[in-house]
Parts: sequence; C-alpha cells; structure tokens
Amino acid sequence: MNNTLAKLAANTWVRIGFAVVVAVVLVVLPLVSSKYVNYQLSLIAVFGVAILGLNIVMGYAGQVSLGQSAFLGLGAYIAAYGVVEGWPIPLIFVLCAVVPAIVGLLVALAAARLRGLALAMVTIALPIIGIPLAKRLREFTGGSQGTTVSWLRAPEWSGLDHDQWRYYVVVAIAVLMFLLARNIVTGRIGRAFRVVKENESVAIAMGVSPYKYKVLAFTIASLFGGVAGFLYLGIVQYTSPETLSFHTSINMVAAMVIGGSASILGTIIGAIYFVFVPNLANQVNPQLTALVSGAVLLAVLFLVPGGIVSLPRRITQAIRAVRRRAGGSPPETPQSPSDRVPAPATTRPKSTEKKNEGKRQGQ
Amino acid sequence: MMNFRNATRISGVVATGAIAALLITGCSRGEEGDGGTGGEASPGITDTTLSLGISSPLSGPTAGPGSCTVAGLYTYLEAGNAAGGFEFGDGNTRTVELTYLDDVYDPAKAVANFRQMVDDEIFAYVGALGTPTNAAILPIANEEEVPQVLLVTGATMFSSDQDANPWTMGLLPTYFDEGRAFGELLVERGEVTVAILAQNDDYGDDYVAGFEAAIEGSDVEVVASATYEPSDPTLDSQVTELAASGADALLSAVSVTPLQVGVLTKAQSLGWLPEIFLPSNTSTPATVVVPGNGAAYPAVYSTSLSKVPVSPAFAEDEDVIAYNEAFAEYGAGIAATYTPHCAWSYAEGAILEQAFAGMTEPTRASFMEALRSIEDFQAPLLLDGITVNTTDPTLPAIQGLNLVQFNGTGYGPVTAG
Repeated sequence: MNNTLAKLAANTWVRIGFAVVVAVVLVVLPLVSSKYVNYQLSLIAVFGVAILGLNIVMGYAGQVSLGQSAFLGLGAYIAAYGVVEGWPIPLIFVLCAVVPAIVGLLVALAAARLRGLALAMVTIALPIIGIPLAKRLREFTGGSQGTTVSWLRAPEWSGLDHDQWRYYVVVAIAVLMFLLARNIVTGRIGRAFRVVKENESVAIAMGVSPYKYKVLAFTIASLFGGVAGFLYLGIVQYTSPETLSFHTSINMVAAMVIGGSASILGTIIGAIYFVFVPNLANQVNPQLTALVSGAVLLAVLFLVPGGIVSLPRRITQAIRAVRRRAGGSPPETPQSPSDRVPAPATTRPKSTEKKNEGKRQGQ
Repeated sequence: MMNFRNATRISGVVATGAIAALLITGCSRGEEGDGGTGGEASPGITDTTLSLGISSPLSGPTAGPGSCTVAGLYTYLEAGNAAGGFEFGDGNTRTVELTYLDDVYDPAKAVANFRQMVDDEIFAYVGALGTPTNAAILPIANEEEVPQVLLVTGATMFSSDQDANPWTMGLLPTYFDEGRAFGELLVERGEVTVAILAQNDDYGDDYVAGFEAAIEGSDVEVVASATYEPSDPTLDSQVTELAASGADALLSAVSVTPLQVGVLTKAQSLGWLPEIFLPSNTSTPATVVVPGNGAAYPAVYSTSLSKVPVSPAFAEDEDVIAYNEAFAEYGAGIAATYTPHCAWSYAEGAILEQAFAGMTEPTRASFMEALRSIEDFQAPLLLDGITVNTTDPTLPAIQGLNLVQFNGTGYGPVTAG
C-alpha cells in the first residue's frame, strides 16, 4: 500500500495536479473565508517566514539562535516607521530585509566565534536589549504604546476587502521566501551548512570555513526575520515592544522543532502549530492555555521526536513492525522509494540525504 | 527536467501545508461584511440574550491582573443573570453571556481573539486589560464598528480622542491623573521641594507630566529627578542621588514591586525621610509598604478608587458583602488571588448595566450612545465620591481618584497637612 502511495507521489502528473489544486486553494481560500480565518492564515505565512529563517540557522546550520523575535521586531519597527513617514512600500520592504540582515551580520561576526551555550547566550541578549531600547527610542518606535498604522489597504481596482488583499500580498511574499530558502538549503550553501552542523573539523578539512558559513546562516536568518516583521506589520497593523518578546523567540524555536528541524515542510507545519495551538488551547479552556500548550508540546515530542514532518515515516515504520511481528510478508528493503516520501524537500544529493535522515532519527 | 521535478516537489510541499491549514482553521464561510447594519439588530443580540467578549492575559507574567479583569466582570454578569437577567431600555430583559479568551499579553494573539469573537458574533468587546493589546485592536474595532469599551488600562490613548475613535473608551483614570492628584496635594501645602523617580518610558512620563501640570506656577519645586529601567536590579544609586537633594517629598513612580520596596528601604537607611507618594499599582500594604517599612516616613500616600474587598476595613460594607458572596460563586474559579482589577471590573459590570438600561434599540450604535450618557453614577465598590461620568469625549469612564494615606496597616483618608 505504501508502495503504491509512493509511486503515486513520484508521478510527475500527480504532483502537478496536486500543486495546481493547492494553488487554487490558496487563491480561492481568502475569498470564501471570514476575516478571522484570513487573519489566521496570514499569520501562519508571517510566522512561517520567521521560523524558516530560524530553521536555516538552527535546523540546517546547527547554530542555536534564541533571538529571532528581535529581528521580527526590528523588521516590524522599520516598516512602521516607513509607513508613518510615507515611504514607498517597495523601499520599506527592501529596508526591512536589508537592515536586519546587516544587524544580524554584525552580531554574527562577533558571536559566531562562540559555540553552543555561549552562542545561545549572545542570541538571548538580542530581545532582552531590544525591548528597553524600543521603549526608549520613542521618536522611532512610539515607546511602550507602540505604533499603529493603516496600510496595505486593498486598492479600488482589486474589488477585494483589506484582509483578502493583505493575505495575497503576505502569502505571495512568503511563497517567494520559501522558494528562496529551498534553493539555499538544497544548493551549495545548504550542503556547506550541513557539514558545519555535522562536524566543524570535517568542514575545515573539506575547505568549508565554519565561521564564514555560520555568519552567513545568521545573516540569512536575520533577513528572513526582518521580512517576517514587514509581513507582521502588514497583517497586525501594529507593533510594540511586545513583538520582540523573548517568549516569542522560544515559541518559534519550539514550533520549529515540533514541525521538523531542517525541513521546509516542517517549517510550514511548525508555523501552523505556532498560530493554531494557542487557539486550540483557548477553545479547550482559556484559563489553562499554558498548560494545554505545554501538554501538546510534550505529546508531540514524545510521539514524534523528529517533528510532525516525520510522522508518515513513523507510521510506515510502525506498520512494517506490526507486519513483521505478524509473520506476514517479508520486510521490505530499506532502500524502497517510500523512504523518500516524508522529506521531499531535502532529498537532492543522495549521500547527504542518507546522513540527514539518520541524524534526524537520532534526535 | 531536474528543475521541473523540483518545482513540482516544492509545490507539493506548499500544497500539504495549505491543506493542513485548511483542515485546521476549518473551512468556515463567514458572512460578507458584518458590522453595524443600520436599523436592524446588531450581531450578538437577540430578544433574550446579549453576548460580550473579552481577551486578557490569563497566562504569563500579567496573568494575575488579567484574570481579575475577567473574573470581576464575569461575577457581576452571572450574578445579574441568576437574578433574572438585565433590563434593557427597549423593554426586553436579556441574559448576558461573556466569552473570554487568553492572549498572553501578545498583540497579535489579541487581534486574533478579537477577530474570532467578532466572527462568533459578540455584540461588544469590553474590559480588556493591556495597553499594547488594546492598541492593536483599536483601529480594527473602529473600522468594523464594534464597541471596544471600558478598557482596563491607564494609558491616555484610548479615551483622549473619542471623536476620532468613536467605538473605543477606557475605564480607569490615567497615570497622568495619578501624578496630578499628588501634585495638587503638594500645591496646597505651599513651599515644598520634591524629588522624582520615574520609569524611563511612557508610563513614567505620564506620571511626571501629570505632576508637573499640577504644580505649574506654584511654590512646589522639583529639586532632583532620576529615571530607571524596569530591568534594573536595584535603584540604590538613583535613591542615593535623590537623597542628596534632601527634598521634602518623593514621587516614586516605580511600577516594579521589588524595586519599590528597595526604594523605601534605601531612603530610610540613608536617613532621608521625605513624604512618599506611591503609584496605585505598587502601593499594596502587604507587598510594598510593610516590607519597605513605610511607617518610618512622615507620610506615605497613594491613590485609590475602589474599596478593598479583602480588607477588614470594608468587611461591613454592603457592596463588599455582595461582591464577596458572588465572587466566591462565580469568579473564584477564574482568578485565584485578588488584585484591584477584580473590583474595577466588577464595577465595570454595573456601568454596562447602566448602558443596557439606556439602550433604546438593539444596536451597537444605541449601546454606544447610552454608554456615553452616564452621569454621576455611583458604581458598586467604587469609593464614595468617585463617580462614573462618560459624557466627556476626552476622558475615561472613571475620572476621580481619592488620595489615601498609609495608616500602619492599610490606607485611610489623608490626615496630615
């Protein structure tokens, strides 16, 4: 059964059909959904981009970063300032990408010399410094009351509501960012990241400078964080020091691990988790949201330690184990194509794929 | 070919994500453009029911006050429902349901909660705690014409321009008012020197601005001032610096409880014994004034607007007895520990009841009109002399503040000077 599924998934026409269906769904969805659903979907796109950046630096390059919310907040503040000053939106977008990237680069130039916990400490400092700074630089940030803006309104000719227009803008940018990320992690840079993550000495022996690639990973993550901040302001229309909150960083790390580290699909799942679980918790019992969220987190980590993205593989394994015990059909060869199904995004070079799979199983 | 395959593969990834998103959010089809459809009844109201919504922090660092904003209001409404419901100005009697959600003090979550509740057809959004969370909701509430009223925050922005934001109104006196109340007290004294210690943000600024507005042109003179960051571990150096001025009074606009205790202990250890003014949110006897040995100072002032249900001083008060009885039944499960927010939001329930009684049509517009025409209403649990006036479009619902003085165990009327 798994084989047929795998064959089906490998069929190009099936894939194209699937992609078309999805594209149509993504386009039609906001037209038929309420403003609340559109807001939630847009938020998934926003945090998807932020978590994607986090996944590049943590999942792919293996460097702990607990400061992603600082870049999210920085991007949001730049966008807010630009909107208030009436700058053209493309300029705002570019600044939201470039300025956080430069800040990330400068921090990383110093921080990437450190490893492990020391590096984590430096990244923790970012939101901790960022919040009082945002409160103090009142002319730019609006202090602790934050900045409210009204922008990205639907143009007349589109005939759309604001929430629908914002959804399209945000999702379009998010899709571009995901394509960009995918190209990065499956290309030369992605391979270098993996070697650096695996073993820095090996990386040096292969002529890959761990320092250079760590700095690069941080810079890319900051850029994604900044873009997410731009999108955040587009959807929430408001930013305050709370946006930088360390809590948000931790939740994004948790969402990334839950979705699936070093996986593009896992990032999307993580973003859905990030936005959806607080809602679920609120439905269960608004007084116990922290408890419910914690319980879900623990449950996921116990049942699928490799993240939700590894769930199909876990199920396949479980089914095989059951069959084997039942003494039925002989075990399938481990090289069967179905192994490739769960993580389609990370499968370009065969050798790294194998290594990567093993690694994830071990986590 | 390779590129083509990859392209389809990535679409597959996107596809899975999208479908998951669909499944999760539920393919609910919302109505086209809700909001105030004139003449007809607004969403969330029938002939027998009315639904209200609130999103406050129920978990995280602000959970204590946040839970109280829900618990007090819930108590008042449920007690009213149990007594047969609320009388409305259009002649109907309705039971009032309150939906409450947790936003962890996160503006993005607060907006999500607000949108969700508007989707689920709440009639009005009431009594939410938090400046950033309410600030994020403000433009949406006004665009969608959903009342966002009686907000539990001391920031001026929610009430100062109700012509521009006709659907938004705050509940509480602002930090500015508190600073001004203390300034006015000192002006009556004549020549006084003052030292100011304030948080380095808008909170501290509001205090200082209110104080300075009150003392302008008087004989009160500010001889020293210092600021601090909420993350500072200690304020000893600031206090030492201010003590050197030997000022007669200290306006200590410190919002962090342990730091405020530190200020009280440090000043007396330096032999500096000014009259002290504490802001309402760091003036609790048990956690601030007693640990800080406030009795050593000639006077410790604060502001207050509500009776304290847990204090023996009010044990015989009718409002307090009614509150305590109802709270034990309805509110205790939501908020475990008392903060003044419980009393405030209970009073807020009574203000809502006044507005309901004034509503001649089952519409949001009629509700806002009724809410804006309350005059000299003595809400339960508010101190004598503090009344609700909603007619000024630049002020929150409750404007009065009573200056109170520490009397060794709790707060009482101002006696000195």
